[in-house]
Amino acid sequence: MIKLIEKIEGEAKLNFNFKDEKIEFVDIEFMSTRNIENILKGKPAFDALVINPRVCGICGHAHLIATVKALESCYENLQISNKAKSLRELTLNFELIQNHFKWFYLTMMPLFGHKQEVLKATYPSQLMGKAIALFGGQYPHTSYAVVGGVVCDITEMDIIKLQHYIDKTVQFVEENLLKMDSKSFSTCKSVESVLKYEGDLPDILRQINAEELLEHGKSYDRFISFGESSYFKKGKSIKTRVNNNISIDNVKESEMATSFAKNVSYKDKYYEVGPLARAMVNKNQLILDAHKKYGDSIFSRIIARVCEISQLLLHSTKLIKELDLNEPSYIEPSINIKQLNASGYSAVEAARGTLIHKVEIENGIIKNYEIITPTQWNLSGGTREKMGVSQKAMIGLCDVKTAELVFKTFDVCSVCTTH
Amino acid sequence: MENKALFEKLSSRLDELSNLPKLDDNKSISSLIEEKGFSRREFMGWAGAMTSMLMLPASFTPLVAKAAEMADRLPLVWLHMAECTGCSESLLRTATPSIDSLIFDYISLEYHETIMSAAGWQAEHNLESAMKKYKGKYILMVEGGIPHGESDFYLTIGAHGKTGEKIARDASENAAAIFAIGTCSSFGGVQAAYPNPTNATALSNITDKPVINVPGCPPSESNIVGTLLHFILYGTLPALDAYNRPKWAYGLRIHDACERRGRFDAGEFVQQFGDEGAKDGYCLYKVGCKGPYTFNNCSKQRFNQGTSWPVQAGHGCMGCSEPDFWDKMGIVHEPLGNRLYHTVFGGLGSDATADKIGVGILTVTAVGIAAHAAISLVKKPKEW
Repeated sequence: MIKLIEKIEGEAKLNFNFKDEKIEFVDIEFMSTRNIENILKGKPAFDALVINPRVCGICGHAHLIATVKALESCYENLQISNKAKSLRELTLNFELIQNHFKWFYLTMMPLFGHKQEVLKATYPSQLMGKAIALFGGQYPHTSYAVVGGVVCDITEMDIIKLQHYIDKTVQFVEENLLKMDSKSFSTCKSVESVLKYEGDLPDILRQINAEELLEHGKSYDRFISFGESSYFKKGKSIKTRVNNNISIDNVKESEMATSFAKNVSYKDKYYEVGPLARAMVNKNQLILDAHKKYGDSIFSRIIARVCEISQLLLHSTKLIKELDLNEPSYIEPSINIKQLNASGYSAVEAARGTLIHKVEIENGIIKNYEIITPTQWNLSGGTREKMGVSQKAMIGLCDVKTAELVFKTFDVCSVCTTH
Repeated sequence: MENKALFEKLSSRLDELSNLPKLDDNKSISSLIEEKGFSRREFMGWAGAMTSMLMLPASFTPLVAKAAEMADRLPLVWLHMAECTGCSESLLRTATPSIDSLIFDYISLEYHETIMSAAGWQAEHNLESAMKKYKGKYILMVEGGIPHGESDFYLTIGAHGKTGEKIARDASENAAAIFAIGTCSSFGGVQAAYPNPTNATALSNITDKPVINVPGCPPSESNIVGTLLHFILYGTLPALDAYNRPKWAYGLRIHDACERRGRFDAGEFVQQFGDEGAKDGYCLYKVGCKGPYTFNNCSKQRFNQGTSWPVQAGHGCMGCSEPDFWDKMGIVHEPLGNRLYHTVFGGLGSDATADKIGVGILTVTAVGIAAHAAISLVKKPKEW
């Protein structure tokens, strides 16, 4: 029996195939494309700094940072001040945080039968949006990061405002998401210690247990993460075995006959990206405990994503304390872009996982540009013999509603996938 | 006197609206505001800010507040075409008592792909039934460019695989008012940049109905909300410029109300990012600011609840609310100078003002820019 169910997630479609009342296979198709990689060809290289954030309004800042880093990798001996690096990292953290809030309150909660609490999603994400705007001028779609640094010149007053936004967000987390002190949460090593508390997160986790969903959503138990920062490590984790020595050269994109999106694999294998993958590579004790008990299930995926909110907020405070405002925001590159013939790449961690940009420049003009988005990793539409990560996670489920829940724990987003 | 007549006109429009049935009898705006923890004073403060933005006298604040309260009489359909969802994201970050309250609770948002819980068949059914039930009454807001003609297969949506072009055209047919939210639906947007692989086009090119353009990439949340409030208040389309943009928002150039304008007039320019001028807030024209060619109220409204805007952060305006800015306003970090670029005005581009009378202003600006550039040669400028 084939049951066609539409899932409008931007423009993605899932065809569920049932056999003996269980999902036997799921076709994933993306029904639109904008062809931005072709639009970039022939344009002056720095124009990518304005065009690429527009690849996605949900994680546009990750695209900006990926673009600037890809362009910078084309230079030799380019200097970037620590201040500029930290500011970029901070704004990227804030984008991740606000995304996680929206995913949890707008997407996850209703799937567990709760009311969609829009204000709970927008309040903290507005705070984080303001924090980005403080440096970047606006959010979404900033262009404050340029080759050589950032254009903003921040003052102590900006830092005070920024810390205020962070403190208010931490307060929101402690009053709603998990009613415990964030610092104590960051040192939690076991799932049980989290479940003792009240809050929207433990509520959902308890519900997963009560509704016997703990075994749902398991896939290959293979994780990968390429975006390095002062918080995230690069590496892959097969079950709990971590290898930090991975190369972007082994990442391959392949076209699909039925979809406008391309599949992505590492050494011809599909890997999961996202907060769970990052936590596994980073060996986060709490998430390792969740993984030990429930594997790469919806439980682990949810706790990993929400847990990242608190961790990134704490880490951001640390980054702010270490900022030296006397450092330059921008250091002019010694070579004019118009004299540059080179190729480069970058990888950053966006909310949904690893985002990769590759660029080739000839006399400052873009000859080729490739974008690999996080959702491409998780939603690669493989074959029955070799399924993609989310496809595998849905196999064997009895109903489409549960499959939808599993599917959405990957925080799928087709906006930039259909670039 | 003039104000009095307008006040009465708007009051009677709102009275008329208040006679319409509410879309949901169980909700009222005042109770929702209270429920969400906002005081009446906070709400009136917001209404005051909106009044000023819509260029109405302060005494009209109670009317604007009432207009917001009438929003639950008008069903809204929001369509996503080829886009990045940045406009919706901008909307989700609107100031208190935020558009989230307005749009999610006060207004009956009948169809919005990103935030509604429904999906698939159900979503498609919701759209069709909303269009049928509120025929001729709903407000249509479209986000995204529209792959068009033989390329319409680049965007299909829903269980029946309908093309975006067809859905947008059908929804336009019976809407009470149509707003193209963002540069993509207004002018085609980033996907319409050369070589425009998907043949993306503006909403106004696929429907005969009048379309109000609210461009910007993204437009500020206040321009989106203001457009809606304006329609509720007046019941008619606002005064528009040559590109069908509401004049209350797009009547002035970025350059006219820029906080760095004094620096421009004094010939004080940032020569490269990070220099002393950049630290002192000098004009960004020479590092590529397109403010003199761009019509929008960014400097006044700012983004993210008035936090900042690109020029404040030290990056020039990119001209994102102008048609084809991707192709016409490049190179990003170089000034446009006296380069001519081609638009519907045959080479005058957006320098023709909102009223098509800006040839003089263009000349004055160009002369001004040249003069200031000449006297500000404290350092060798970057290659133009």
